[in-house]
Amino acid sequence: MLRIQNVSKTYPNGTQALKNVSFDVKDGEFLVVIGLSGSGKSTLLRCINRLIDPTEGQIFLDDVDITAAPPAKLRQIRRKIGMVFQQFNLVKRSSVMTNVLSGRLGYVNPWTSLIGLWSADEKKRAIEALGRVGIADKAGARADALSGGQQQRVGIARALMQEPNLILADEPVASLDPVLSHSILQYLEQLNKEGITVICSLHFLDLVHRYATRVVALKDGIKVFEGSAQEIDRARFKEIYGEEAQEVRAASV
Amino acid sequence: MKTSRLFRNALITTLVIAAFVVSYNVTDADFGKLFRNLPNGQKLITDFLTPDVVTRDVETRTVSIAFPVPCDSAPAEADLPDNGPRLVPSVNCANPLEKFTLEGFDLEPDSEVVIRWKLPDERTMTAIRTNTDAEGYFTFEVEARPIIASANGVASRLEVDTLTPVGKFKPSPTLKEVLDAMFVTIFMALLSTTIATFIAAPLSFLAASNITRRGLIGSAVYYLMRFIFNVLRAYDPLSMALLFAFWLTFGPFPGAMALTVVTIASLGKLFSEAVENIDPGPVEALQATGASPIHVVRYGVLPQVVPDFISYIVYHWDINVRISTIIGFVGGGGIGYLLNLYINDFKWNQAGTAIWAIVIVVWAMDFLSAEVRKRLT
Repeated sequence: MLRIQNVSKTYPNGTQALKNVSFDVKDGEFLVVIGLSGSGKSTLLRCINRLIDPTEGQIFLDDVDITAAPPAKLRQIRRKIGMVFQQFNLVKRSSVMTNVLSGRLGYVNPWTSLIGLWSADEKKRAIEALGRVGIADKAGARADALSGGQQQRVGIARALMQEPNLILADEPVASLDPVLSHSILQYLEQLNKEGITVICSLHFLDLVHRYATRVVALKDGIKVFEGSAQEIDRARFKEIYGEEAQEVRAASV
Repeated sequence: MKTSRLFRNALITTLVIAAFVVSYNVTDADFGKLFRNLPNGQKLITDFLTPDVVTRDVETRTVSIAFPVPCDSAPAEADLPDNGPRLVPSVNCANPLEKFTLEGFDLEPDSEVVIRWKLPDERTMTAIRTNTDAEGYFTFEVEARPIIASANGVASRLEVDTLTPVGKFKPSPTLKEVLDAMFVTIFMALLSTTIATFIAAPLSFLAASNITRRGLIGSAVYYLMRFIFNVLRAYDPLSMALLFAFWLTFGPFPGAMALTVVTIASLGKLFSEAVENIDPGPVEALQATGASPIHVVRYGVLPQVVPDFISYIVYHWDINVRISTIIGFVGGGGIGYLLNLYINDFKWNQAGTAIWAIVIVVWAMDFLSAEVRKRLT
């Protein structure tokens, strides 16, 4: 479904975040991107929905060149790509309901939504989305009144409002404790089983083993590994994370 | 090395002292005057501290006697009573320029007394104001001036009013005047703050680097907006008010317009900084959903900045009430204008009333804006 072709990204300050990265993602995969902090995972994910424009290379979603899409076309493409963030990226002062509804902005009437009006249909959809992540009762609460795990679930509900074919999850559990990490990843796994392709960057290798159907590893912006989680042995691990690295495990549930 | 540093320090010290001496001379500083002129200051402060705030209704009682000038021009007051409120002149008639003593007995005690002549042609001429003592007695030396001469056999009359305050205290006319002017000032400040908000709020997004500064056109708009805000801010409200007073003639309106322009610049800058300080996360998240830029601002930026905006607006209303007081001095209307009038007429008690009103309102606005800002954070 997604083809990443010779993608490079150089920031204006000269940092080369991605160097000639290519790989394919098939429909229904739970692809995990691993690598050290600063290895280019976030940049890679943001290149896919062009929150960051790649300097070189192309990215095709179902044979449509994302990298060449003009603004209006790009917004249409983004509608079908949900995104979940490490810091949840909710509007803290707005209600959970508003945060979830805002995932729908690519679809609804631009004028009514501009003055904050939402149809009963959309509200029902939002409650359903919240229900799928188990917090339908929190709809009226202010986003910053929720715990970290709950906020991330709101983030997932917001992505669900887009009726996405693909979810990009940028370190979705890095700000959460291990128990919550499993809970969040199980929601993503559930969505994956329902047919949504997931591309997720992760830190903990045991989480990778547990959830990934396939793994891509980045080191200094270069793809150093592509394969199944089981193939990452001690040697590969050292290769990805460096000689000094020690594996840390998230507590399993 | 060491001597050069010593030399440098000596030079700096000399320059600082020289600067002080120059400023002392330029200012005509004479600190002794502060003490020599103390009585002036005391009088002023006393008047300011006894503002004209309340009055009471006054009951006026009048006693009068006929007083012929010259002596045989008309009949004198026949027989003076010897009890009750009464006037007793030392002579029962007088020739022009003669002086005599007028005494009053059993009048209202501790009251203000107005002594006047009522001329045969019904005109009146106030001679003096004085006060009765605790027994209701007063004495005063009167001169029989030629103008009070009898006409056609009718004598002028000496009238004495005693003015006794009665009834409840009520707001004085000055207080009403001051409150009216204060009302104008507060709402003039509100009008300028409101108009300025509607103009500054949209413009501030253009002057926020995280919203506008993309590409060549964006950067141009960003720097242009910054430039406009900075230029407008450089004008102080007073000179702006003079400019508008010249343009729109005197009154509250030019004052309000001057305030508006200054407030646009100031709020625009504050607002744009609030926009620049938002958490970029939600903006990124909304862009990722495929929302259009205007919706990203509406759902991702606006909710984050509204509390800051409101707090700046209230704060600026507070500032504008203070500034419009000063603007009133150059014809901007409102309380400042009234205060200027009082001061020009040497009405120090009234000026005191205005100053107290300003102090109270500024304090109240300060308190209000602090409370609002506390609630919002």
